[in-house]
Amino acid sequence: MRTRVALVSAGALVIAYAMVGVSHEIGAVVFLAVALVVHDALWMPLVLVAGALLARTGSWTRMVALVLASVGVVALPLVLGPGGPADNPSVLPLRYGRDFVLILLGVVLISGVRAVVRKKFARSRDRGGG
Amino acid sequence: MVRDTVTALTRRLRHRLTEPLPAPPATLRRGPFRAGAFPSRLRSARLTSQLGVALGVAFAVCFLTGLLSHLIQHPPGWFWWPSRPVWLYRVTQGVHVATGLACVPLLGVKLWSVYPRLFAWPPLRSIAHAAERAGVALLVAAALFQVLSGVLNIAHWYAPMPFFFTTGHYWVAWLVTGALLVHLGVQLPAIREALRRRGPGRPVPDGERLTRRGLLGGAAAAVGLITVTTVGQTVRPLSGLGLLAPRRPDVGPQGLPVNKTAAGAGIALDAAAYRLILAGPAGETALGLAALNAMPQRTVHLPIACVEGWSAGATWTGVRLRDLVTLAGADPERSTVLVESLEQRGRYRTSTVPAEHVRDPLTLIALRLGGDVLHPDHGYPARLIAPNRPGVLQTKWVGRLTVLPAR
Repeated sequence: MRTRVALVSAGALVIAYAMVGVSHEIGAVVFLAVALVVHDALWMPLVLVAGALLARTGSWTRMVALVLASVGVVALPLVLGPGGPADNPSVLPLRYGRDFVLILLGVVLISGVRAVVRKKFARSRDRGGG
Repeated sequence: MVRDTVTALTRRLRHRLTEPLPAPPATLRRGPFRAGAFPSRLRSARLTSQLGVALGVAFAVCFLTGLLSHLIQHPPGWFWWPSRPVWLYRVTQGVHVATGLACVPLLGVKLWSVYPRLFAWPPLRSIAHAAERAGVALLVAAALFQVLSGVLNIAHWYAPMPFFFTTGHYWVAWLVTGALLVHLGVQLPAIREALRRRGPGRPVPDGERLTRRGLLGGAAAAVGLITVTTVGQTVRPLSGLGLLAPRRPDVGPQGLPVNKTAAGAGIALDAAAYRLILAGPAGETALGLAALNAMPQRTVHLPIACVEGWSAGATWTGVRLRDLVTLAGADPERSTVLVESLEQRGRYRTSTVPAEHVRDPLTLIALRLGGDVLHPDHGYPARLIAPNRPGVLQTKWVGRLTVLPAR
């Protein structure tokens, strides 16, 4: 109990300190609120719908979807953002759209190969057993 | 007597805070608020706790490395940062960004695992419950803020962020840390209980249903893929795999990335008229390029390590800062140097080299990179390069050095 009280008290103090700093950055407060609302009211329902649609396709598809969604969060700002300044080609030097598609294809290809291999194994096992 | 009063007050307060609030009418319990609205059997206290531990470690790493970077850039009086090992900052900041990116799948799955709790019924059981929920909302908002703003920042996409990134990311780091400590305090017994129990007592899955281990494996695979495709921006042997790396350590003028170009900084220079003003106890000296080139030249191999997580080693040639301090009539063992750029404005126009780095023979006012005269974007005619220091403090287009006694 003592540990818990210490954690909650320390946490509350740190939050109070942070609030002082954050309150000077109204834009940051807006971003906090928007991030929370967009995640809870838009992103998560989409994820749940996608999960429900994929539920019948087996566990592997859902894992692939998880991996692709995660990589997408990292890749999309690189793809959709404005890129580096025109006079500085060392900022964001790659073709991120193409690279993202390559990664998607790679992951899908690996899962395809895995599915074929599994099917083959299952068949030979059936034959061996029969 | 006083003690009795305090005990009585505490008891009354506790009663007040945990007293059940009136529940809303049951007819409002629709949609996601219904019992069984979230049927996935994959969610469990154990899954949530395991993800929570991973995220807790990741956030702690990000907080400490980020705070360190902040302190190096804005050192308070008590702070001390060594000049060796030369690669330390490149590692701590590389780890900061890599760990932050690893949080993307971890945070995503963690929030999925607790999403049904957003629709708990009744929504507010007591004042204490309301406070706890407010704390969780703060934690979720702050965690999303940190991960998203970090991802946007390394992608140089500032438009969606209506605040100055560095300031916002710094203060919300404290917010997420405080909210995390509160959350840990509140959930500690539940976490302990969930992690103590061995495995699920559920039937062995038939292979097609995703298991907890499968989901954790998927999250780990996502972490691995994100890391492999981005970490090449600081680990040169992996740069070929860095399909999503915002930088390549070998792409840029003279094979080295640049953050701010000469044009971007508004530098238009007449090399013949250039003078480096050296101010110290011996007065002010104006050194032209010929004078600087006539001084003893040293060659060092030092990395440029950016706060954005990329880094690249390079070979620099120039004059030791300690030699310039001696020339200015000060003791190089006990001096700090204020370095000013020719830039007219800009947040990083000046930087202070602490005594630790002034003393270090690797700290140069560099005139050459890889044997050639500096490219304008790398700070021609002269730039600071010091070991174990953030790139934004490696001042370019140096116009003035003021030698001051060490604090």
